[in-house]
Amino acid sequence: MILLGKVGIGIVGTALAGAGIICSEGMISVNVETRQPEKHHVFVVAPAMLVPIAMHFIPKEHLAEHAHEIQPWLPTIRASLDALSESDDITFVDVKEPGQNVRVAKSGGSIVVDVNENDETVHVSTPIRAMSSAIEELAATSPAPTR
Amino acid sequence: MRREKPAVAVSCLLLVATIAVAIGIARGATTAAKPAAERYLHVKVDGGTKGESVNVNVPLSMAVKILPTINHGDLHNGRVTISGADINDVDLHAILDAVRTAPDNEFVTVKSSEQDVRVAKSNGNLIIHVRGSGKEGGKGGQKVDVTVPMKVVDALFSTAKQNELDVAAAIRALGEAGETVLVTVQDAEQNVKIWIDSKSGAE
Repeated sequence: MILLGKVGIGIVGTALAGAGIICSEGMISVNVETRQPEKHHVFVVAPAMLVPIAMHFIPKEHLAEHAHEIQPWLPTIRASLDALSESDDITFVDVKEPGQNVRVAKSGGSIVVDVNENDETVHVSTPIRAMSSAIEELAATSPAPTR
Repeated sequence: MRREKPAVAVSCLLLVATIAVAIGIARGATTAAKPAAERYLHVKVDGGTKGESVNVNVPLSMAVKILPTINHGDLHNGRVTISGADINDVDLHAILDAVRTAPDNEFVTVKSSEQDVRVAKSNGNLIIHVRGSGKEGGKGGQKVDVTVPMKVVDALFSTAKQNELDVAAAIRALGEAGETVLVTVQDAEQNVKIWIDSKSGAE
């Protein structure tokens, strides 16, 4: 009985530790709600750490072209993500017009994009750390620039 | 055993006191090292035919970090190269030096049937006012006010090259210049305001 208890604690502990590690980079959430012409609701929440892990399994030849394209912009992207992670929570862009509102903001370590229209609502939240990890994964697939 | 108890208690007290002092020193160091208040560049556009509004808020420190990393087109290392032959015959540094050393004054005043333009230096700021008469199309006249601290103008032209503007240095100077309204544009259709302050939101 005691042995079973110890095994149970071990399994639960491992599961909790695994869940903690997977969620350590935050969660990506996508919420799309369409009201017309048909009502649809898509709500996805996924651990952000899965993005760089998933990128490991994409064939390198598929990523190479994109990696080559972003190569000149890597310093800018890295500096932007560093500056974003250091900045306070802020609304960067807020566009309002009758029947439509678009907002891009930093909130709690994530970049949040909200689009509210009469017929549709879109909410996307991505942790900045996950973006950095994904960009570094993508950069790693690109051959070093020749000088 | 009884003699050891006070010694242990004293040791614990000393340990707690040491930790408290260490935390105090660390807090003091943190306070001393606290950076200057963050400044934000705000752009607000109101109006339009449908009543749109656009708000853009950018921390200046972010712009200062990102700009030098962009090397594209005429922008390199936070500096913009002014292309075109027109600038070659004009000594911008000499003009700027003349403006800087001149007392507060109106440098340019143009009055025409369509618009009035005024360029002046006042209280360490370079000021440009444009007033449209609004006769064209029957709409109200356009009002443009631009106020640029001279320190920012100095920073903008601080490069050794004649045809370069140091945008990154100008943004740094803007951050040090304090809260100021840089540009306001008002016409019959929309209002535009660009300003610097220490609030992260536009309101």
